[in-house]
Amino acid sequence: MSLKSFMEDAYRGKTRAKRLDTHRGDMIFGLEDLADRVGTKPDRADVEALVPADENLLFQLMTAKPGKKYRMLWGHLSSFAAERSTAPLRLPAEDFAGLEMGCGSIILEEAADHVGERMSGGRILVRGAAGDYLGQEMSGGGIIAGGCKDYAFRNMRGGFGVVRGSSGNYTGVGNSGGRIVVLGNCGERAGWLMRGGSMLIAKDAGDYLGLLMSSGRITVKGRAGKRAGWRRKGGSIRAESFGPEAADGVLGLD
Amino acid sequence: MPDPPKKIESLVASLEELRLHVGRKDLSIGDRSVNAQLFFSLANACLRNHAVLLYGGMGANKTTLINLLGSSFLGLGLGEVENLMVTGHPEQTEEKMVGFLDPRQWTRPGAGASEVLWTPWARSRWKLINEINRFPSGKQNLFLEILQKRKISYAGQVLEPGDTCYFATMNPEFSATYPLDEALLDRISACVPAVQPDFLAGLTLSEREREVRELAGELPRFTPEEFEALPTSVPKVELTSQVELAILSLLRDFTLCERAPGYDKTQLSGSKPSKGLCPGCHYFNNPEILCWQVDEGLSDRVRQDLRDFTRSMAFLLHSDGDLKVLKAVAPYVIWHRVTPIRSALESPPYYGARKLALISGLVEKSINRTLNERAEMNLVFSRAVDGEMAMEEALRELSAYDDPIARLDFIPSLEQMHCR
Repeated sequence: MSLKSFMEDAYRGKTRAKRLDTHRGDMIFGLEDLADRVGTKPDRADVEALVPADENLLFQLMTAKPGKKYRMLWGHLSSFAAERSTAPLRLPAEDFAGLEMGCGSIILEEAADHVGERMSGGRILVRGAAGDYLGQEMSGGGIIAGGCKDYAFRNMRGGFGVVRGSSGNYTGVGNSGGRIVVLGNCGERAGWLMRGGSMLIAKDAGDYLGLLMSSGRITVKGRAGKRAGWRRKGGSIRAESFGPEAADGVLGLD
Repeated sequence: MPDPPKKIESLVASLEELRLHVGRKDLSIGDRSVNAQLFFSLANACLRNHAVLLYGGMGANKTTLINLLGSSFLGLGLGEVENLMVTGHPEQTEEKMVGFLDPRQWTRPGAGASEVLWTPWARSRWKLINEINRFPSGKQNLFLEILQKRKISYAGQVLEPGDTCYFATMNPEFSATYPLDEALLDRISACVPAVQPDFLAGLTLSEREREVRELAGELPRFTPEEFEALPTSVPKVELTSQVELAILSLLRDFTLCERAPGYDKTQLSGSKPSKGLCPGCHYFNNPEILCWQVDEGLSDRVRQDLRDFTRSMAFLLHSDGDLKVLKAVAPYVIWHRVTPIRSALESPPYYGARKLALISGLVEKSINRTLNERAEMNLVFSRAVDGEMAMEEALRELSAYDDPIARLDFIPSLEQMHCR
């Protein structure tokens, strides 16, 4: 059999030829290279335009340690990877994991700061404790964490957040929507400037709960600290008991 | 009328019915799913002079399965087959494994040339090397020699046991294990993970009330004629041209390297893709190209192993030797012979642990590319080789392809032919 007959037999008349596309777009060689093109605090769209289509390359970019400098870039990449993945994505504890994520799932054993920031959909599960700014400015999706530090769910507009342990100070500051559930204790000034949404604290809350809040619901199953509902303009606060100087109209649990 | 394929089917059914092997069906071939551990072992039993390595943790039914199959194929009791295997440990010696000189023969009157007393393992044509990675590196060389020469030599005498089925088992790396030599791994035709029984399999196994030894006696037995007929039946399965072409291209995809001597990655020693060989290379980081993603090239043994195991698996499944069989078989023939670069292996979804899945992806990529995207360049090359196209024109056309096979294989070959 001649070589030509062998080839023709193998291809059975099909001679579709897509040439190897070695020059497709710009190859991104690492986070530093990506930062050169879009800066270190880029928009999601700018990163999306350059992010590799191939999953392996995307994961290779993410294997590099981002440090403080490239952490937002890494965060965007983590979201793209989660959105493309059919299975939940396990990621290392880096800042900004799930930044502006629209769908998909991420599982973290421990979490750093800014996890799930500005997310609009999908789920993030943190088995251990998260750092500061968990779910900041989120508008959709859900986050479940074993615990968190300060400023969790700050300026939240939608979605839900569940903290299975205790949360730090300033939880749900400036919220205008969404639901927050803290199964442990909550630090000071939770619900400060709250304008909507709901917050349920299963144990005790710190001082100044619902400070300057104008709308929304806060329920504390345990004791609220001093000055709960201080300078409150609207919304409701209910708690099992209150410390001194609680504002008028703050109700007990019936 | 002996019908070995039917007997193999009956053996597979009996192993399941008697709860002797109820592994997960983790090997998909077209619309059929079978247990890889069992079917690769059966495929090897239908061939000769190939070695299959079962790799997995303790209690995954590696050794027992091979001994049960040996008992069925050789028509022996399980105990007799167990006596044929050798097991690795640092104190294992060549004398214990292969044979020894009986000193009494020198005191007998009229003693002639010294005779070696060969061990049952050495004489057997069903050789199981149990826990091969518990042999220290120096002792592993003995198997390298046996697999290579198919002869056993000791004290100046040579034993030729004839065409043999070789099996080996190994555990993951423990404190008492030694790394397997790359040359020995290359002589192992296929490596198959042996996984622990899943929930349902565990439930089924718990229903087994009699001893394995007792149940083994109920397995179908092959006659010597039937066992001998198997390696003559397998070559009757024809491989399609697509399979032959896909195998050739697969080998070249893994082996070609622009920066290696003779474009051959098997020539590399110190410098490798994982040690910084590739940055700046035209193909580096291109996900469609395989060369930069694995350290080693593939030897020509892989080609023969791919062909033989594709045939044997097709024979077992009563199917054609086509692409779906090759796609299922090839990862198991390749994955133990290569080392992927760390950045690829350690990324999700591989997490540094799923090397077989990574290699399966690369194999699939190569085969799909050969069939869907290389037709035109392959036809240009073949027409030039057959003299139906002017060399200059073929070289010009091929130089427009950015494929490593066109650039590093076809063009140099045509240039050599042109110079003659």
